[in-house]
Amino acid sequence: MPLAVAFGLQLALMRMSRNPLIYLPAATYIEVIRGTPLLVQLYLIYYSLPQLGLMLGTDMLTLDNLYVGIICLACNYAAYEAEIHRAGLQAIDKGQREAALSIGMSERQAFFTVVLPQAFRVVVPPIINDMIAMLKDSCLVSVIGVQELLNVAQDIGKSRANTAQMLVLAAILYLGLSLPCYFLGKYIERRLKAKGAPELHIDAVHH
Amino acid sequence: MKGVNDMSATTQEKPAASPAVNGETILEARGVKKNFGPKEVLRGIDLSVQKAEVLTILGPNGCGKSTFLRCLNLLEQYQEGTVLLHGNVVSAGKPETHNPTKAEQQQAEQLRRHVGMVFQRFNLFPHLTVIENVMAGPSRVLGKNRDESHSIAEQMLRKVGLWEKHPCDPLTLSGGQQQRVAIARSLAMNPDVMLFDEATSALDPLLTKEVFKVVRDLASEGMTMLLVTHDMDFARDISDRVVFMEGGYVAAQGTPEYIFDERPVAGIQKFLEKG
Repeated sequence: MPLAVAFGLQLALMRMSRNPLIYLPAATYIEVIRGTPLLVQLYLIYYSLPQLGLMLGTDMLTLDNLYVGIICLACNYAAYEAEIHRAGLQAIDKGQREAALSIGMSERQAFFTVVLPQAFRVVVPPIINDMIAMLKDSCLVSVIGVQELLNVAQDIGKSRANTAQMLVLAAILYLGLSLPCYFLGKYIERRLKAKGAPELHIDAVHH
Repeated sequence: MKGVNDMSATTQEKPAASPAVNGETILEARGVKKNFGPKEVLRGIDLSVQKAEVLTILGPNGCGKSTFLRCLNLLEQYQEGTVLLHGNVVSAGKPETHNPTKAEQQQAEQLRRHVGMVFQRFNLFPHLTVIENVMAGPSRVLGKNRDESHSIAEQMLRKVGLWEKHPCDPLTLSGGQQQRVAIARSLAMNPDVMLFDEATSALDPLLTKEVFKVVRDLASEGMTMLLVTHDMDFARDISDRVVFMEGGYVAAQGTPEYIFDERPVAGIQKFLEKG
């Protein structure tokens, strides 16, 4: 998930660029990833990377199943996180950047010390939301042979003829992993509210 | 003058406009023109602010006064003309689509260190406390250490009478207090000139008063200031020189008495009667 958030921020910045050479690749990536099933992407990466390696005469691209799974999930979620970041950055009033520039900050400083920390407050709840979704989507990587909760449960269930119980157990374990995320999200939200989240910003002031 | 500038014929200046002028020009615009797409907002503005002078820009809505102020601070890209700080050209007009180069950005940063700006909507940083807002300039831009920045910030907050609010979140303050903190944040950079872009337009009359008091104090300390305001009484009271803008031109300028009493161009008459 941290990979997805970081990559997503990079994508969001590219997506917001005015230069078509920068935003077109980012926009294309985001739409392609969001428009195709994660399962298809998993299969595609899993089977095509070694094939590509074969063509290039290297086995560097034959990665461990686990890494393929992680990379795939990260790349997939990055597209969604990118849109969340973009929404967050655009929610910050233009005046914030201008005020930062007006006291002599560089664009970079204005972004990292003024705009990004405020955008962070906006994007935390939806990112936590995606974190829970990703946790559950991680069961999809079982199709490329990664040992994960779902297929372990299935294997045990099959060998002992108690699949149903094992699947219920798997579901409970997923829930057990999701709930801490949920509470973490609630906690962060509460703290941000207490500190005056940006929705309370003075945009309502008119003249 | 080049080109057809039909309004310049009506521009009237009164000699010996300002008593405070001692001849040292701080900030100057020469022939600044700006357009938003096909719309010409500034059609060639020549204006300079002298040291310790308080200059007010008046004009009807849409005459370009705020835009002009933003051009002086290089927050807005203008298309023709130059901006000079202490007589040195720091920026020149560029096409609307121009992306500033690294060098141009650095020059803009340099200029903004010397030119403070106060915005209509305060624009305090809501994720920082009041004192952190004021410390942002000295610590992040001037690279001063925590103690130095802190003592500068304390001094500035005391100056605007808000030291007791220093640990607060800015959004818990009243609009007038927020604007005073914004002034302190600007002052912490020790600017050569301060620009006020309708600094009280978002405030009710009572809060306006407390902000004006701070501005008055600054004026009496000899701070060079350029104000855009809709408050005529204040403009008349505080200004050394008043500039009346109309349709993207400087239509008239002179002492407050000259502008308000003699009303040298028809536009002022109309403008003042409406207000």
